[in-house]
Amino acid sequence: MSKLKYSWWAVAVAAFALFPVVVTNPTYTAIGVYTLLFMACATSWNMFSGYSGYIALGSSVFYGVGAYTMALASIHWHMAPGAAMFWLVPLGGLVAVVIAVPIGWIALRVRRHTFVVITIAIFFIFQLGAINFGFTGGTAGLSLPFIQWDASYYNVPFYYVALGIVLVAVVISAAVRRSRFGLQLLAIRDDEDRALGLGVKVGAVKLSGFALSAFVIGMAGAIYAMFQGQIYPQFVFDPTFDVSVALMSFFGGLGTLTGPLLGALVLESAQQYLTVTYSNGSLYLIFFGALFLIVITFMPRGVVNFFLDRRRATLAAASMANPSPTPSAPSTPTPAARSLV
Amino acid sequence: MNATALLSAAKDGILTGSVYALMATGLTLIFGVMDIINIAQGILVILGAYLSYALQVHWHIDLFVGLLITIPTMFLVGVVIERLFFRRLTGPERTGMSILVTYAVSLLIEGALNMIFSVNDVQLQGSYVNKSFAIGSVHFGFIYVAGFVLAVVLLSALYFMLYRTRFGVSVRASVADQTSAALVGIDVKRVSTIVFGIGVAVTAAGGMIYGATNAFNASTSYDLISRLLTIIVLGGMGSLGGALLAGVGMVFVGDMVGVIWSPVWSSMSYFVVLAVVLLVRPQGLFGKQSARVA
Amino acid sequence: MKLSRKYFRTFGVASVAGALSLTMVTASGASSGGLAAGAPVKIGISLSLSGDFSADGLAFQQGYKLWAADVNKAGGLLGHKVVLDIVSDASSPTQVVTNYQKLVSSDKVNLTFGPFSSLLSLPAGKTLSRYGYALVEGAGGGPSVFQAGLHNIFDVSLPVANNLMPFATWITSLPKSVRPTSVAYVTSNDPFTQPQLTTIEGTLSKAGIKQVYNKVFPAEVTDFTPIADAVAAAKPQVVVLGSTDVPTVSAFMQAFEQSGFSPKVFIATGGPDQGSTFIKAVGASNANGIMVPNAWYGGSANPLSKKMVAEYIKQYGGTAAGVSSDVVEAYSVGEVVAQAVKATGGFDNKKIIAYLHSGAVLSSAQGPVKFNSVGENVTPTAFTFQWQGSKFVQVNPVHDPNSVKVLFPKPAWGK
Repeated sequence: MSKLKYSWWAVAVAAFALFPVVVTNPTYTAIGVYTLLFMACATSWNMFSGYSGYIALGSSVFYGVGAYTMALASIHWHMAPGAAMFWLVPLGGLVAVVIAVPIGWIALRVRRHTFVVITIAIFFIFQLGAINFGFTGGTAGLSLPFIQWDASYYNVPFYYVALGIVLVAVVISAAVRRSRFGLQLLAIRDDEDRALGLGVKVGAVKLSGFALSAFVIGMAGAIYAMFQGQIYPQFVFDPTFDVSVALMSFFGGLGTLTGPLLGALVLESAQQYLTVTYSNGSLYLIFFGALFLIVITFMPRGVVNFFLDRRRATLAAASMANPSPTPSAPSTPTPAARSLV
Repeated sequence: MNATALLSAAKDGILTGSVYALMATGLTLIFGVMDIINIAQGILVILGAYLSYALQVHWHIDLFVGLLITIPTMFLVGVVIERLFFRRLTGPERTGMSILVTYAVSLLIEGALNMIFSVNDVQLQGSYVNKSFAIGSVHFGFIYVAGFVLAVVLLSALYFMLYRTRFGVSVRASVADQTSAALVGIDVKRVSTIVFGIGVAVTAAGGMIYGATNAFNASTSYDLISRLLTIIVLGGMGSLGGALLAGVGMVFVGDMVGVIWSPVWSSMSYFVVLAVVLLVRPQGLFGKQSARVA
Repeated sequence: MKLSRKYFRTFGVASVAGALSLTMVTASGASSGGLAAGAPVKIGISLSLSGDFSADGLAFQQGYKLWAADVNKAGGLLGHKVVLDIVSDASSPTQVVTNYQKLVSSDKVNLTFGPFSSLLSLPAGKTLSRYGYALVEGAGGGPSVFQAGLHNIFDVSLPVANNLMPFATWITSLPKSVRPTSVAYVTSNDPFTQPQLTTIEGTLSKAGIKQVYNKVFPAEVTDFTPIADAVAAAKPQVVVLGSTDVPTVSAFMQAFEQSGFSPKVFIATGGPDQGSTFIKAVGASNANGIMVPNAWYGGSANPLSKKMVAEYIKQYGGTAAGVSSDVVEAYSVGEVVAQAVKATGGFDNKKIIAYLHSGAVLSSAQGPVKFNSVGENVTPTAFTFQWQGSKFVQVNPVHDPNSVKVLFPKPAWGK
């Protein structure tokens, strides 16, 4: 990465860090918390599904497991309501990883389109389990220790912790992308049989990627549970979460680093804002559906990829017009940079 | 629990299961020919049910007579969706893309249905909907029997078309290998459009029976699509016989679990059955082994 | 992009105003004791206008609007015109939290009314408790709401757990010769229904009524036929159905009819109280004899209720029996808050909370209201209502002067 790119990242992080200082209205900091949680989840989802091409539609299993870990641990360990509960956030992530291993082991035995459906089925097993088992509190859900922070700053600690896990997600995703492990995931996406032929241990690579992606999503679920103070099975094991993270990543650009961040930032904040402002759920569905069909039709590789491709095309055209001795960026993406779905 | 309870559950499982099998057949047929996972199948079933509802409420057209209108209408809906969104969808990524496209389509339809019909649940009515006859101690609801008969008739017609007509040969050739089919002169694009239309048309019949036996609104589609996907994966994606067996089998298992153990675990039993079967046979009951990667 | 421009403008204004108002709000727990003369009083409400609870959400909206119109006709609250600020939560507890934050901190509402159901009331109550706002609600009576230890939540309706007691008393009071001998309990997996059934199981079995079926079904189920068939196969004389909505009750009735089974007594915890919606779904002849527990019905003799029902019919049409109990639950919220405002002489939430906890007995269209320390309404008695022909009448408690004779046994379907 160039110096210029690093400075852009620094500006973005600073802007996010300053947001609650400038905008103190809890309405917007609350939207900020949810948006950051989705940015972290979409980035982490993309780290596996975007890189490997295995679209998972059951990631809310990890979110829900993280949320229930936070709820059950804080209740059963009689934790004092307050900041100490944040220590349970990494625990939520770890439990999600532990759960992800057997799930991945079952689900990753099949080819891609079947994988999608199996992740959905496993999601339903978890949701129904949370509704019907005794220790989860059933449909009445679980009530966490009640944190009596003042309303004027209640959202702020959650905002910064959420921002922290966004950074964790981005660092993991960037590190994977630049590692040998990341190349192996990309190779699987481009041609799994060839990757296997080249000696990539595809089974182990896919499983590790899948489990790693559970970590951040589990932490996000734990933060959500603590933030809400009350969880219900159908809202932490939520099918719309599964689809949302996939659509956010797709919208921004699958397999890119900034795509899922952008997708989550735009879509989640817009959704929350439109719902509080216009209060019409049906219109929102139509707007959302139409927006997606338009993006799919005109930018089938997502917004970020769309502009990257255009810039490459412009550069290529420029280099053709004035041939220079140094070769410029290739006009066709390299196989590894080619994006799937 | 007594013998009547068990027999009733078995009857419910088979009669209701056949309707699910019909809806799932449309889904698996589309996948088999086009490699498209049609997430919108759930909302299309509901759309079919609402069409029957509209005909009944506004023009007093009987549910079964109404099928003569709703089946061709849903066929056209399918053709339009295919033309608009799937013609341009090509290449190795089309399956993944198709999930997103059909999901977006289903959101659009859901929003529109909510605005037109409101979110209050409705159910299709008819003089025969609450009537039944008894064999021994087991009562058979007319509407369930009619649904079973309808499913059997339509599925037979579908099989006849696939295995006894020229068009069926083209479809089966396209399922086996699109490129070779095109090489021997089959118009794969035309076959795809018609198959998509047929796959969607079955939702009109499935939706009518579903709507007469369940209260529904647009968001009921999520429950439907999750069951239908489970059925076609269990049966083996693209396998018609698999969809048939898995459709009846899963509802049957669910209903038996409900009566023997508790209704709480019936829906979970589908998904557990699925996970267990896939552990042993990752390609599903009747899926093709060769299609598996790694 | 239009959206972002609007965003930034809102942010700019909000950040200054928000900072100022928040210090004020938190300093005194809503220091709006005295509104400027002529300024309207804003009441913030999050309702489920779409999603799972939207049918109830819309009925609640009717109730709230009816109350606001009535108050404004009578000169408003302490001379201030009432303005309702209603936002939709799409039946999601996540959205409910954002909504009440928005209502208090952006819209600067003076008072807050509750959303529909315990599921949403609890997170709403927690959020508002941090602002020092009272949440008065009419549909959050599940035990979980009162176990949370919140000081600011008040449910004007009946705590649900004891709903079926008058019914159980009636059944057990029947002479042995006609008393039913078997009962089936079948309930949705729901915090509203399950406690009601559990409460009466012991009473009925002590009276020698044998339990032949007792199962829970998942809340998200849509096909009730196999469950209803299993109940019918057990041939109980009494069916107690734990339901929350009309489609569930109507599906069970349909399946019972199809399997040629008609119990002597059929009571459902929710659905038959939805007035015309229920009759439209099942047909008047099938409804005959169906019972439902509740705290209120359209034919109530309570003068406040009579007034409300008359207003309702004037505005929306229909009959007294057609008024959903959701409407009166919402309406009663308004009545209770209005009395608290008058008693405290202002809109200070701290004082309102203290007043509601003081043990004062307030009146509402649903009857008297008195809160205990966790915000439960301790005064009301439950009633049982029954559809008799096209009329919806009160039948229990048996000795209540307004009760009529129970139609027992329930006539066969369609009779």
